[in-house]
This record gives sequence, structure tokens and C-alpha cells, in this order.
Amino acid sequence: MNIIVCIKRVPQTAEAEVKVDSSGKDIEKDRLIFDTNESDTYALEEAVLQKEKFGGSITVITVGDEDSEETLRIALAKGADEAIRIKVEDLDELDGFKTAQILHKIIKDMDFDIIFTGCLATDDAYSQVGTTLAKLLEIPHASLVTKIELSENSADAYRELEGGLLEHLKIKLPALFTIQTGINVPRYASLIAIRRAARKELNEISKTEFGEMKSNSFIEELFTPPVSKLAEILSGNPDEVSEKLTGIIKEKGLI
Amino acid sequence: MNDIFVLIEHRQGVIRDITFELLAFGRNLANKNNAKLTAIIFADNSKKIIDKIKTQADKITVIENPIFKDFNAESYQIALAEIIKKENPFITLIGHTAFGMDLCSSLATELKIPFTTDCLDVEINGKKLSVTRQMYDGKLNVKLQLQENDSYLVSLRAGTFPAEDGNLNAEIEKIESPISAEPDYRKFIEYIEVVAGEVDITKSDVVIGIGRGIKEKDNLDIIDEFADAIGGVVGCSRPIVDAEWLPKDRQIGSSGKTIKPKLYIAIGISGAFQHVMGMKSADTIIAINKDPNAPIFNEADYGIVDDLFKVIPVLKNKILEAKA
Amino acid sequence: MNFGLTNDQKMLQKEVRNFAETELKPLASEIDVSGEFPSENIKKLAEMGLMGIIVPEKYSGSEFDFISLAIAIEEISRVCASTGVIVAVNNSLVSYPILQFGNEEQKQKYLPPLCIGEKIGAMGITEPNAGSDVAAMEATAKLNGDHYILNGTKRFITNGTAADTFVVFAYTDKDAGYKGMSCFIVERDLEGFSLGKHEDLMGIRATGNCELIFEDVKVPKENLLGKEGDGFKICMNTLDVSRIDIGAQGVGIAQAALDESIKYSKERKTFGKPICHHEMIQNMLAEMATKIQAARLLVYYVGYLKDKGVKRFSKESAMAKYYAADIAVDVTRKAVQIHGGYGYTKDYPVERFYRDARILELYEGTSEIQKIVIARDLVK
Repeated sequence: MNIIVCIKRVPQTAEAEVKVDSSGKDIEKDRLIFDTNESDTYALEEAVLQKEKFGGSITVITVGDEDSEETLRIALAKGADEAIRIKVEDLDELDGFKTAQILHKIIKDMDFDIIFTGCLATDDAYSQVGTTLAKLLEIPHASLVTKIELSENSADAYRELEGGLLEHLKIKLPALFTIQTGINVPRYASLIAIRRAARKELNEISKTEFGEMKSNSFIEELFTPPVSKLAEILSGNPDEVSEKLTGIIKEKGLI
Repeated sequence: MNDIFVLIEHRQGVIRDITFELLAFGRNLANKNNAKLTAIIFADNSKKIIDKIKTQADKITVIENPIFKDFNAESYQIALAEIIKKENPFITLIGHTAFGMDLCSSLATELKIPFTTDCLDVEINGKKLSVTRQMYDGKLNVKLQLQENDSYLVSLRAGTFPAEDGNLNAEIEKIESPISAEPDYRKFIEYIEVVAGEVDITKSDVVIGIGRGIKEKDNLDIIDEFADAIGGVVGCSRPIVDAEWLPKDRQIGSSGKTIKPKLYIAIGISGAFQHVMGMKSADTIIAINKDPNAPIFNEADYGIVDDLFKVIPVLKNKILEAKA
Repeated sequence: MNFGLTNDQKMLQKEVRNFAETELKPLASEIDVSGEFPSENIKKLAEMGLMGIIVPEKYSGSEFDFISLAIAIEEISRVCASTGVIVAVNNSLVSYPILQFGNEEQKQKYLPPLCIGEKIGAMGITEPNAGSDVAAMEATAKLNGDHYILNGTKRFITNGTAADTFVVFAYTDKDAGYKGMSCFIVERDLEGFSLGKHEDLMGIRATGNCELIFEDVKVPKENLLGKEGDGFKICMNTLDVSRIDIGAQGVGIAQAALDESIKYSKERKTFGKPICHHEMIQNMLAEMATKIQAARLLVYYVGYLKDKGVKRFSKESAMAKYYAADIAVDVTRKAVQIHGGYGYTKDYPVERFYRDARILELYEGTSEIQKIVIARDLVK
């Protein structure tokens, strides 16, 4: 089972303050911590679990700047066998569609049974790259996968739908699956594996080799979301706010 | 201007809420731009669906075939691509739902038309199209200009636009399905319900929701005590389920349960839209969060900006006193 | 000269931080209160390869350098100082002397279990009447045929209650002074070896700190580490290395205190603005950050000397340990101050950091001893 995993290095913004920079089209990045995109770590773990079961090899690919090398090496340390970085220095030019086209140029000549990607990058939040890539490669796909069972030529994929329902599909391989968080428990890289991965050769390919590619869209401006409705904020120390809130809850007849 | 297309989403014989949201938004967009709104229905039997939406579109195009009983992104993609190629609508609107996410990118890629996903707003300016969507965990909005074209495809975030009654009388057009069988490389097998646990968060009048802010599993005790005091049950946002601190059937949000309790108290939940989707219909919403900029305060009726570990024990005692 | 970390050091830092934040942090405050040794965590630490960071791969170690050891200890101590010292002891006080002074047989027998988490290590130097004055120790080991008879009591032993493999110092020839001190590997299950008082500590409370009591314990002759009389040399050499860890632990605790202080000072408002905009608070934050960075560079420097193969670095190692301990106490005290009354409660972790930091000035050589080492080198 030869598996390709597409991963991305993103700023960790879930619990950070995010500010628009002076260009108005990007964010201030110097104080943010960058790491592998969350659902991509699950995609990689799924690949490693399948490799442990069926054998084969794992190639991780990222489209990114030099800092993304670390993301690739961590993936190598967690169980990937080969790593490819498609060199792009100006990441801001990339939308999901363009990223998918770049990935397509390299993957189309590779030998693989399965491609795993994360289901969503937390920075641009498109959920486009995996499903677009599948179409460009003319292979079937399933997105938002929370369980997958592989056999020789096909996969039973279970997609997560709204309301906690699962959609069970049978898909012929080769195919692409975008992986939802929670499908497995991603492992840590052991120190020995880190040491080996740190010395491993990475394959680097320049994006310019692929010629010009079109973006679907251009950023006009970034801005703080307008507030539609704002809660009445109760002020005071814990004792005072609790007193006020209890009053409100009681008044509404909820206790 | 050419038509505006809206794809009707249904599951297990029921029209999904997103459909009405898309139709209302599409109608407003059509009115503003002098366009016609066409609803596209793929179904095995369309009668019930047509009845429910016929006042909401200028035209309904129906593709009836047993293969469209259940959603299969691949069948939809092949069939819809044929129709869009033929009719060349200015814009096709799809829900950014689990179905829409599986369909949108491959459909637009097949059609070679500009597309984007998860939009909160769409603006048409002559032949140009710009959209508003969110980035960076919902912390920022972005305005995007799409590459200029004759036809676009956009998916819209669920729960963003209010559904509205219509007063149109749609012309119905039935067309042959461009395909007669599900593609052999992707077959729909079945829907699987997640087995319900002992607590049903959809049935309780009072629900306590917890998120990343509770920091560690052991702190669930504090929350459980509070829930007992106020007489509620405990639900959570996605990270809590991913960490396996609570079972999947306690998840509130788009990929979990939708709840409509009388009182919802969000504790340590930042308020990602996926979560908000599942709880915004609660009658009264209270949010407790350390971060004054947490989006949850945009949804709540009342907010407390403080450390939950300081507030909850005190609040628990006040509630118990008030009950006594 | 190069101040940048290597690829593997950067990756180690990132992964250990992720691991510590996710796996260790949730337990840190709980084990501080209960004082329970975090045995479950040890398994996870060993799986990551953190119990044998500097041990070669052929003995099941991770084979990283000493700067990496410092980075790992800093990251672990940043979330849990108890776990930080547990790991430090296993690496520097137990695995290191076995690696450095043990024979091939001893290395093969003792190192792999220590690295893979099957066994935990502890070291016995301090005694009720011998702390800073190591040579005043009273423990004795008398050769008797194929074994030594070990007698004595060791006090304040980190990892004591949980350990299986002990590196213990005792006199084989009391008359020869410090040159009559020897070092032994003592296994927990030997007859006559029991645990005494379990210490109820002010900080680093989950480290299994206890007394070791040896009553006519028969230690096999082959468990002598080095030669008879090598004890003092082994002890000093080992402490030079372990002070890298203790320095790193200080940097980690201090960094955690600074991080919490920055966060709190942005949230807490007085006189109509977040306190981080008050100059008095800014003054403290600036001092804290500068001192931490200075201490970190001192610690890295000792690691660099060791990695380069420099034989003697007692002065530099003493400087790093003394300074890191000093600033850790200072920084954590300021962190409590910035948090005001809340900093004195268990609602915030800074009170734990403050208590944890205080040990750094006491163990593995008090700050006074470090200054003696430094000064002696200056005026020799």
C-alpha cells in the first residue's frame, strides 16, 4: 500500500490573538506558533496505521517555504518514508485551487494507492485542496472521513455528516480521502526517530518547473468580523457576577 | 443576467435547513441583479420536495432517478456538471455542508470555473464576483475577489442566512438524468446512526457546554457538580470529543447534535461557528470565557469574562442557595 | 560561533513541548497536591526516548547531545518541575555515571532498562550528616569475598520511592579520606535495603523523595562502578554534568512563570487598563525575560563545552546552576507579585512554580557551594 500524505504548516490560531498586518491582506505572523495543520496530523497517523497493517511506503508532500522543512521532518520522524517540499516562497499567493494544481503536477507521475489529506487547513479554511486534487488526478474521493477500512482494491470509508450521522461508502482504489480529526490518536515522534529524520535528505522541487498557474481568487482585504449581537457582560468579582447571573436564571424561571 | 442556481439538499426524505437558507439568499441575490432563481432537485421522488419549495424559486429543474435517493457526490457531480454546462448559470449556490464539501471542489474543477467555499456573503458587481468568508479559526473575515468568468460556483455556510417564505410560483421542468447508474468506483452503501448513550443532550432543558477552556479531563468533575446543582446535562465542543474526554453523542455542533434547550451555558468555549450551529437556537445563552474577544460572546445573551475555575464553584453555590 | 539550534534540536524542542503540554501538564498540579510519583507518565516519557536522552542507541538510548538534554529538561520543567527532575536524575545522575565509568557488562545490564522505562534510577550521595560536605559521609562498604557489605543512610533521594537502580556512594577506606570513597550500583531488591522517611516537600512534591537505609546489604563485587577509591571523582564529575539539567530546570520553571505573567498581565485590569501597560509591571517582565535568556545561554554553553569534549568545566557548570537557580527564584517571586493575591492561591500555577524553584538553590550543591567552586577557580 503506497500512500501519499499532503500536509501543511499553519499558524496555530485557535487560542491566539490574530491581527491584520499593515498591508491589510495578511496577518502579523511573528508572534504566532507554527505547526502541522491539525487534521493533517490525523491524516499522517492514519497513513502510518495503514502502513503498519499492509506494508508499503509513505511519502509526505508539502507546498511551502523553507520553514516547512521542519514539518516534513517531523512527519518523517512519525513514520513517513520520503518527503517532498515544493518550494514556494510567497505563500500568500496560494489559494486552495492553486495548491491543488501544484500538488497535481508532482503526484500525477507518482505510483500510489491512496492519498490522505487533512479535511481542512485552519488558516485559510477552504476544505478544497484534497477534493480538487482528486478531480485533477481523476481518482475518486471521500471527504471528512472518520473511519476507513482498506482491502486490496477498495476502501470502506465512513464520512461524518451533520447530526452525528455517518455515510458509508465503498470506493475503488486508487482514491483520495480527506481525514477528519478524531479518527485516531496521533503519535509523538520518538527522539531516535527525530534524530534520524533530522539527517534525512528531503526532496525539493521548485514550483517554477510547473509553469504558471491560476489562482481562483485574490484577497482584497482582511478584517475583524463585525459583531452582530453582543452579550450583556456582567461585571464584578466571581461572587458578584455569580449573584447577578443566578438572579437572571431565577427570574427566567430556569431553576 | 444569467440564472442563479441553487442545489437542493435533502437526506433520508427530509429537506435540509440549508436548502431554505440558500433559496432565501438566492432570491435576494436574484432580485438585486435581475436574474432568475432556479432550484435544482436530484431525487428518486421529487413531489414532496417540490411542494415545499415551489413558492421559493422562479423555476425548479427536477432530475428524478432512483440513483439520487441518497447523496453520492460523484453522481451529483457528473449530472450537475452536464446541466451547468448546458444552462450556463451566472452562479451556482451549494451549501457548505458535509454533502456540499464533498461535491463543490470537484464539480467546479470539472467545469473549470472559479469557485470558493464556506462563504458568508456574495456580492455581484457586473461580471465580477466577490465573497466574504472566514479564516484563521474564525478570528478574521476576508473579502475575496474571484477570477472573472461567465459562471461561478460558491458554497455558503449553513446557519448564516435566515430562511424566508416566498411568493413565487415556480415553473417545473423535468429533465432526464445525464447518468443512469451510480459510478462503479464510488458506491453509497448506507447511513449509520451513532448509537445513543445514556445522556440525551437534545432532551434536556438545561445544557452545560464545555470546550478547550476546561484544560484537562479531571476538571470535568467541577462541571459535573455544577450541572447537578443547576439540573442540567453536560455537552461539549469538538476538541473535547477528539480528546476522548466525553463520548461523541455529547458533541454540540454541525457534526454533532443540534440542541434547543431553554438555557445553554457555554463554559470555556470560544465559539467556533461549527459549535454555534448546534446551540444558537437555545432560548437563553450564557457564556463564561476568559477571553473577552471570544466569538461566543457574539452569540450569548449574557457573558462573564473571567476564569471559569473561579466562577463556576461560586456560581454553583449561589444556584444551590437560590434553589433552597 | 553559532547560536542557532540544529535541526534535530529544534525538532526535539517542538515535539517535547507538544508532548509536555498535552501529556504532562494536565497532571502537574494534581501530583503537586497529592505528592504521588507519576509512574504512568514515566512510561510515556520512556516511549518518547526521554529517559535515556544522552545514552547511545546501542544501550537503547536516544543518543542526543547535552544541549539537547538541556532543551528537553527545560521543556518538561516548564510544565512540571517534578517530572523535570525525575527525568534529569534518570539521565544525568544515574545513566551518565554508568555510561562514563561503568564497564561494558554494567552498561549492557543497567542502561537499557533505565532508558526504556522498565526501571527508574536514583542516586545516593547526601546523608543526614553530609550534605554540602560530601566527604563527611558515613556510609561504608566492606569487601567480603565476592561482595561488599553496605551500611549507611542516604537522605533526600529524588526518585527514591520509585527507583529500582541506585548509584550509591560509600567509603571503602575511611582512612584514605575522600580518596577512599567508592561508587556502587545497588538494586532495590537486595536484602537489608529499605526505604525510610518519605519527605513531605515544599516543592517538586511528586518526586518520590525519601530516605534509603542500608543494613548489611550484600552488594555483588561486580557492581562496583569504576575502581575502589574512584567514588569522589565520579561524584564530582557527575555533578558537573547534572548541573546542566538543574540549570535547565530553572530556566524551564522561570519561563513558565514568565509566560503565565504575560498572559495574566494582559487579562487583568487595574485603573482602567490591563496591568501589562503599567510601568511597574513592565519593569518586572523585562527583567524576568532578560534573566531567563541569560541563564539559558549559560546552560547551553555548559552543554556545548561537554559536547565538544572539554574535560573540566566545573566553574562554568557551577555558574549556570547557581545563576539559573537564582533567577528562577527571583522570576517566580515576581510572577506571584504580578498575579497579586491570586498568585498566592492555587487557582494559578505561579505559587507552585515559586515553591518548585526554591529547591534549585539547595539540591545538587547549594548556591553557596556553587559560588565556592567558582571562586576557588578564580583565585587558584
